[in-house]
Amino acid sequence: MRRWAVIAVAAVATVACGGTSPGEQTTGSTIVLGAPLGLTGSLTKESTLTQQGYNLWLDWINARGGIVVNNVKHPVTIKYYDDTSNANQSAVLMQKLITEDKANFLLGPYGSAATATDAAIAEQNEIPMVEANGAAQSIFNQGYKYTFGVLSPANKYLQGVIDMAATLSPKPTTIAMLSADDNFSLEVAEGVNTYAASKGMNVVLYKKYKNGATNLSAEVQAAKAANADIVLNSGHLQEAIAINKAAKEQKVNAKIFAYSVGPSTPDFITALGKDANYVYGGSQWTPQVKYTPAFYLTVPEYVAAYKAKYPGLGDPDYHVAESTAACLALQRAIEKAGSLDPKKVRDALAALDVTVFFGQVKFDSRGINIYKPMVVEQIQNGAHHTVFPDSVADAKPQYPTPAWDQR
Amino acid sequence: MAAFVQLVILGLLAGGVYVAVGVGFGLVWGVLNIVNLAHGALVIVGGYITWQLFTAFGLDPFLTLPVDAVALFVLGYALQRGVINRIIRAPLLFTFLLTFGVNLVIVNILLLIFGSDFRSVTPTYSGQGFELGGIVIPYVRLASLGAAILLSAGLAFLLSRTRIGLSIHAIAADRDAAQLVGIDLRHAYAVTYGLGAACAGVAGGLIAMIQAITPTAGEPYTLQAFVVVILGGLGRVSATVVGGLAFGLVEAFGQSIPGSGSVFANAIAFGLMVLVLVTRPQGLMGRLR
Repeated sequence: MRRWAVIAVAAVATVACGGTSPGEQTTGSTIVLGAPLGLTGSLTKESTLTQQGYNLWLDWINARGGIVVNNVKHPVTIKYYDDTSNANQSAVLMQKLITEDKANFLLGPYGSAATATDAAIAEQNEIPMVEANGAAQSIFNQGYKYTFGVLSPANKYLQGVIDMAATLSPKPTTIAMLSADDNFSLEVAEGVNTYAASKGMNVVLYKKYKNGATNLSAEVQAAKAANADIVLNSGHLQEAIAINKAAKEQKVNAKIFAYSVGPSTPDFITALGKDANYVYGGSQWTPQVKYTPAFYLTVPEYVAAYKAKYPGLGDPDYHVAESTAACLALQRAIEKAGSLDPKKVRDALAALDVTVFFGQVKFDSRGINIYKPMVVEQIQNGAHHTVFPDSVADAKPQYPTPAWDQR
Repeated sequence: MAAFVQLVILGLLAGGVYVAVGVGFGLVWGVLNIVNLAHGALVIVGGYITWQLFTAFGLDPFLTLPVDAVALFVLGYALQRGVINRIIRAPLLFTFLLTFGVNLVIVNILLLIFGSDFRSVTPTYSGQGFELGGIVIPYVRLASLGAAILLSAGLAFLLSRTRIGLSIHAIAADRDAAQLVGIDLRHAYAVTYGLGAACAGVAGGLIAMIQAITPTAGEPYTLQAFVVVILGGLGRVSATVVGGLAFGLVEAFGQSIPGSGSVFANAIAFGLMVLVLVTRPQGLMGRLR
């Protein structure tokens, strides 16, 4: 079965190459991109969003005939495999994409764990991987040369919330920090712990819990006992929902509730109903941001393109946008390199500095994008609004959060 | 002091869910000698039924619990009669493999039907509660604990006072002798598994109110049910109730350890399980068989 698939791909590639008669110099070989994604298993939701982001760009670029390299248009295909949300399996499939499917370049999987294992494969094979969904800095502290992340690193996820809080009146001064114990979440939490003091705030409680915990009432109770102005959670969607439910049950009345991951997804609002109101979240991107793109779509055009391709799903969330941005970074680097040679494209990526609908894409020496700011969202009356920084905001923060019995 | 009492209450309330998850698992294990790795998946099926009835018809989630029980009983009966009965006398490894496979099938069917979105049942009284001298008691969790105790009492009554319950006991005591006195093994097995699944369904309905569910959310509950049953002891419903409440308490106190201590809440619960296995292999309240 697999062998037939390979033969079929080879046949298509042959036809594509052989079909170019001497008269039409404009169409070159097909560029094959490879991406293992968790299309089944626990990361299905986020992986599907990632795939949507990749495919949105794929449609757009192929509608234009492909990526232009030295005036030759190369159509693009993306080869996906299901890594069943397993990081080790992701690395195995990444190697398969390189050796069997002859992928020219790689797009990242979903999540820091899989990105970390895949980065090692990209490095061994010296093939650039542009990723959009692995924010843990531990990935980028290995000295890798072939992995590039277009998103802001983990330690910045909740810094925007701290920055915003510092502008509010009365100014909140104490923080209760809850965190899952996986690498990514811990980096987010450590980022807050080291940053808070510089804004005159004090972390009065720092509590770690087991990644994937379903019952967090004792942790929330500790946050209540600490009586902090700000309750922060660094974890995942399920834990954010559990904490918000427990906070209401246990009548924890903080001035700010902010969660690293969760509030930006539509599921958060549908699962919690009006209890989702007033919650803040850090976000890589929102449909309200105002950036002026050097190429590709503007933000409103992007939102419209998403809604046209995936009707009924609402606005694209940041997972979709950052995934599209990874494709854009790769496209621009290939164009600048003027070559499909992996080393030249790698060098072009390292030198890239371009603003797209997603924001500025530029990599530091480690390969992570530290130049784009995180934005802060707040859920107001059941809808997402961007509230910080002011330059991209479409609403003012509703502050302080009213007590649970006064809503 | 108030903080301590609050923690005890939160632990006991959380324990209600573990009781509900544990009783069905313990029944299947005790009678059929099957460690049912599909138990968590059955729990989540119950959760989705509650969610579906709540969102589509606005039915109060507690009123959907009997629907969960009946639907899961039918599903469980069919599963045992059609699939698991075939390997009931095979070595333990086969039952592991088969129930794990059933787990995968159920999870992926749920993924096909509902997708991987997070769902939660949030009725108007969700999150509300009353306060007693500074101690907060949320209605939903209190009612969940009540439902779990009722469920256990109902199951205990069924097992000790009805004809089918007595035949289940007879099978648990001696399979061959039970057959000799005319008990239809295949039917009794299927009823047992059906009852276990029904309990899982009710547990799922409760869980859908307390947390957000996805098709894969059941996996931790299989493990927790395992610990709860070992803590309490195999073979008696009341033992599982004690095991579930104990697990809730241990978890709450584990989580309240300052700093990163709460990461070890599960490890502490498992440590306790090992301790119980070493010192009281029959469990806190189990009988030696």
